Amino acid sequence: MLQTNNYSLVLLIQLALLTFDLFVNSFSELLRSAPVIQLVLFIIQDIGILFNVIIILLMMFNTYVFQVGLVSLLLERFRAMLILSALYLTLSICFHCWVMNLRWMESNRFVWTDGLQVLFVFQRIAAVLYYYFYKRTTEYLGDPRLYEDSPWLRDAFARARQ
Amino acid sequence: MDPEAKVSSSRRRDLPPIPQGQRRTPRALPSMPSQDTAEEMPAPKSRKKKAKRDAESVDEPDDGGMEMGGLASRRQSECPEPLTPEPLDNPPQRRKKKKKAQAIDAEGDQTDLVSNGDTLDQNTDEEVTRKPKKRKVKPKVTETQSNNELDVEDDDVITDPQSPIPQHSLFSAPQGPSQPVGKVFVEKSRRFQAADRVEQWKPSGPIEQSIMDIRSMWTTRDVSMRVHSGFRVIGLFSHGFLAGYAVWNIIVVYVLAGDQMSSLSNLLQQFHTLAYPAQSLLYLLLALSTVSAFDRVNLAKAPAAMRSLLRLSPVALASVFYFSALVLSLSQQMTSDRINLYKYSSYNTTLWPPGSESSILYPWITVNLVVSLLVGLAWILMSTSPDIDNTEAFLMSMEMEYPNSEEKGNVTA
Repeated sequence: MLQTNNYSLVLLIQLALLTFDLFVNSFSELLRSAPVIQLVLFIIQDIGILFNVIIILLMMFNTYVFQVGLVSLLLERFRAMLILSALYLTLSICFHCWVMNLRWMESNRFVWTDGLQVLFVFQRIAAVLYYYFYKRTTEYLGDPRLYEDSPWLRDAFARARQ
Repeated sequence: MDPEAKVSSSRRRDLPPIPQGQRRTPRALPSMPSQDTAEEMPAPKSRKKKAKRDAESVDEPDDGGMEMGGLASRRQSECPEPLTPEPLDNPPQRRKKKKKAQAIDAEGDQTDLVSNGDTLDQNTDEEVTRKPKKRKVKPKVTETQSNNELDVEDDDVITDPQSPIPQHSLFSAPQGPSQPVGKVFVEKSRRFQAADRVEQWKPSGPIEQSIMDIRSMWTTRDVSMRVHSGFRVIGLFSHGFLAGYAVWNIIVVYVLAGDQMSSLSNLLQQFHTLAYPAQSLLYLLLALSTVSAFDRVNLAKAPAAMRSLLRLSPVALASVFYFSALVLSLSQQMTSDRINLYKYSSYNTTLWPPGSESSILYPWITVNLVVSLLVGLAWILMSTSPDIDNTEAFLMSMEMEYPNSEEKGNVTA
């Protein structure tokens, strides 16, 4: 059974990581006086995305639905969030590597190209979708019914066994 | 006396089959009277004596044997003589019967322990005496029924629809949510006595009661709903702030650009330090507003969101406007960085060749104007329907859907 205090703490950590991610996406271009500043911010951002994914997976593993073996049900339910998380992490790492590679020698140089612009747009749009689906998933995982037995779960389990 | 003693002794020998029958199951007790009747039919005279003796045994609480009580009850039915207390003429018989009955009771107790899953710390005398009293009832019931051992007894039939305790078999897993036993065993003076379960724990003080009330009020769902409503407040603020900031931004750009864009150099000189921070703030507010709009329309439910968009729902249109404004704003990131780097003189010739200002700034100003219009319209649409929040309604219902069919799947607690 998920305790309220534990859930609140986990939710706080997740929202803090999301807030930091939004902050870096919004203001990292302004903090490029030295390339190492952007490098550190990007590294922390990517690690934060990875931690967020790990935390959400751990929350899924903690559900009673997962423990009885209905993994496919959870994956079906949260596949949009998982796919978007993986996509956003990939796009972020690619964009950060490319930008750091271009700005490492001189941070105030105009480095934009059409390809970089396209990658930048996709990365930022994926970020917004990632924020939405992640927030929704964390709120959804607060349902106590995911952590206890119910007639619906038994029915789903019987269907899965067939 | 001696022949009667011999007869009674011989008849005492008839009694052992009774305990054997009972040793099979506790429920085999009722069969005893039938066996006794079969044996005793040819000797009706002796029954009366036994009835008298057994009537006395029924009255005494230390009978120690249900079967003896059963005998007595059956013989009472057969011999409609009222039960009268017999003098204490046959204490040895009763003691023997008591011993046999106690042996049988011990076995019966064991079976009860096994079947119920409860453990008694002590078999008190009261409990021993209770059981024979209970068991005395059964033979009376069986007398009314047929002599078949497989007949259902009245005790087996549960007519009370409010029976609280679902009995699970010993070797099967519980099939439902665990339910408490109807009775609890309270330790009193080194003994455990059965007592009715108190349905609600009564707190000892008002503070504990308030704490208990608070704890019982907050669940994880309450926390998630609280977070969702808190983010909705942030979203409302970002909608209004974004609309006002976008309007302010475009007004400043048009003022600095001059009449019919005649002083674009003035715009670059005055605005180049604000361009990139404005772009960053615009992205922050657009991200918050877009997520808030997606929450309102419940974008995860794509069919429902499409239906609301086709119906020209205000929140659906607002979410489309916000998303479009986000894409347009991001497309101007390159130009914003170019404006930001206008201050560096070495980049002026490469980034800003002479005469190229209008060709670079005209699209930038136009897109910013469209972004301002879109976010302004979206803010108006969100303001006209502030109560619509499909995600909150979804979180309240918390529907779990099957992978194949989406019609079923209301998660019931």
